[in-house]
Amino acid sequence: MTTPLRTVRRTLVLLLLVWFALPLAPLVLWASSDTWRGASPLPQEWGVQAFTASLGDGVTSALLGSLAIGVVVAALATPAGAMAARALRLGTLKRPRLVASLLLAPVALPPFAVVMGLDVVLLRLHVPAALGVVLVLTVAALPYTTYLMRAAYVAYDFDYEDEARTLGASDLAIWWRVRLPLLAPGIAGATFLAFLVGWSDYIVTLLVGGGRLVTLPILIASTASGTGSEPRVAALSIAALAPPTVALALAALLRHRLLSARPHTTGKPKAPSPVHAVTLPRGAT
Amino acid sequence: MDRRGAVLVAPAVVAVLFVLGAGLGSAVLQSVGLIPLVGDPALQFTGYVGEREVLAAVGLSLLIASASTSVAALVGLSTALLLVGSGRGRRMLAALVTASIPVPHLVGAASVGLLLSDSGLMSRWLGVPAQAWPSLVAGAWPTAVIFEYAWKESAFVALVVSASLASRLPDYQETAALLGARPWARFRHVALPLATPALLAASAIAFVYTLGSYEVAWLLGAAYPEPLPVLSYRLFTSTDLTARPDAMAVAVMTTVIAGSVALTALALLRRTAAWR
Repeated sequence: MTTPLRTVRRTLVLLLLVWFALPLAPLVLWASSDTWRGASPLPQEWGVQAFTASLGDGVTSALLGSLAIGVVVAALATPAGAMAARALRLGTLKRPRLVASLLLAPVALPPFAVVMGLDVVLLRLHVPAALGVVLVLTVAALPYTTYLMRAAYVAYDFDYEDEARTLGASDLAIWWRVRLPLLAPGIAGATFLAFLVGWSDYIVTLLVGGGRLVTLPILIASTASGTGSEPRVAALSIAALAPPTVALALAALLRHRLLSARPHTTGKPKAPSPVHAVTLPRGAT
Repeated sequence: MDRRGAVLVAPAVVAVLFVLGAGLGSAVLQSVGLIPLVGDPALQFTGYVGEREVLAAVGLSLLIASASTSVAALVGLSTALLLVGSGRGRRMLAALVTASIPVPHLVGAASVGLLLSDSGLMSRWLGVPAQAWPSLVAGAWPTAVIFEYAWKESAFVALVVSASLASRLPDYQETAALLGARPWARFRHVALPLATPALLAASAIAFVYTLGSYEVAWLLGAAYPEPLPVLSYRLFTSTDLTARPDAMAVAVMTTVIAGSVALTALALLRRTAAWR
């Protein structure tokens, strides 16, 4: 490669590193500052006061609330998405393209509009707020879980199930010892994304919960909309970022271990790009 | 028809049909006054008569969504091309992109507020006093809002595009280089056509998401004009109960715009040769 091109590439990489890191820099600095007055470029005193001062005040219950919503949404949306993906792969559905489009539709429609309309319906049906939140968020997560599980099923070979059945395996044994291990990477990705949809939601919890359900994002929003509470905003934000980030890092580590433990796996001519540690979409919403 | 397939797909389909059907159906009925909070149902279309604040909201929402999506597409594509290449700093860049994905938009907005406000990190680092700092947050232009969306969605675009390129691009690039293609020709005739379907799909998802998202503009935007979701939410929670149909009309309009953009993108995707 020619030298000027290499310089351009290096500059671009550097600029992009700044672009992706800069927006999160204030969180790290504010969360680790004890005193940061005036126009000083860095805090005067460093420490963990931001965290110790923010604990209490309902933070624990908000954390548990977010965790519960994330776990329940993942527990509902992942199996439902996996089953739908299996049905689509089996090829026995009447209108497969219609079903596939319907399951992707929640991505294209504004959640606030759906929830504002649904509010009256849920009230008239006397659906408890927590159940309503979980239902809407499960539907919001379904496009991601269905998409990832369909991708997982593309490479899935149904012959393994037939062989196991011929050898006398029960349905449960097939599910536990054939299907689950073969689809494990897809299931892990789908579970992670569905959890994120629940964990990071703000508007659905706000609208359906009507202020009775307090989650971490609700707490962050109310703190951030006020003034003079920078360390608290930063500490709460880091509390919201830590669990998914740690999970991602662990997954990357585990994948690395597995790949290096089995160097002779077939059909992998090239090392996969590091971005493939995570498959797809969004820090949801 | 095979019952097994229908049974497998039922939970997901029933949940989606109920939430979307009941939610949007009820929003449409409320927007034309057929489910009033007080008084008798009476058909009315006042919510759809283009008031000045609604038109301003449509304009602002489209501005925010198109500006942030354009930047996200450009930055995301550049990042993806660097990620599937072999240059230095690739792993570091990949780690940062991956780490940005699970950041909730609300947390991103809170952090961008701390970065760009008049006593924020940038004004401290650049040594500009708060009084002289341009009002990027809650100013006349939605700068901070666009920046937050552009940043978060660029990571999303980068991830989707690089995933679609990773397995194919290096081989094609090598062949093109062996055949004597210069770097620009390799970009224009190899990388870009290969990346187009994923880029289009990711950009459409980013656009539609931005259009329907509430918290970023609520936290970082000005009081007036408001984008569609913020206007709709304000009307929805208004003490004036007769504002409910107006709130629903704004919600329905947002849904129609988002749905049309999604369908257009889908039609365009079907026409690109590399689709499927």
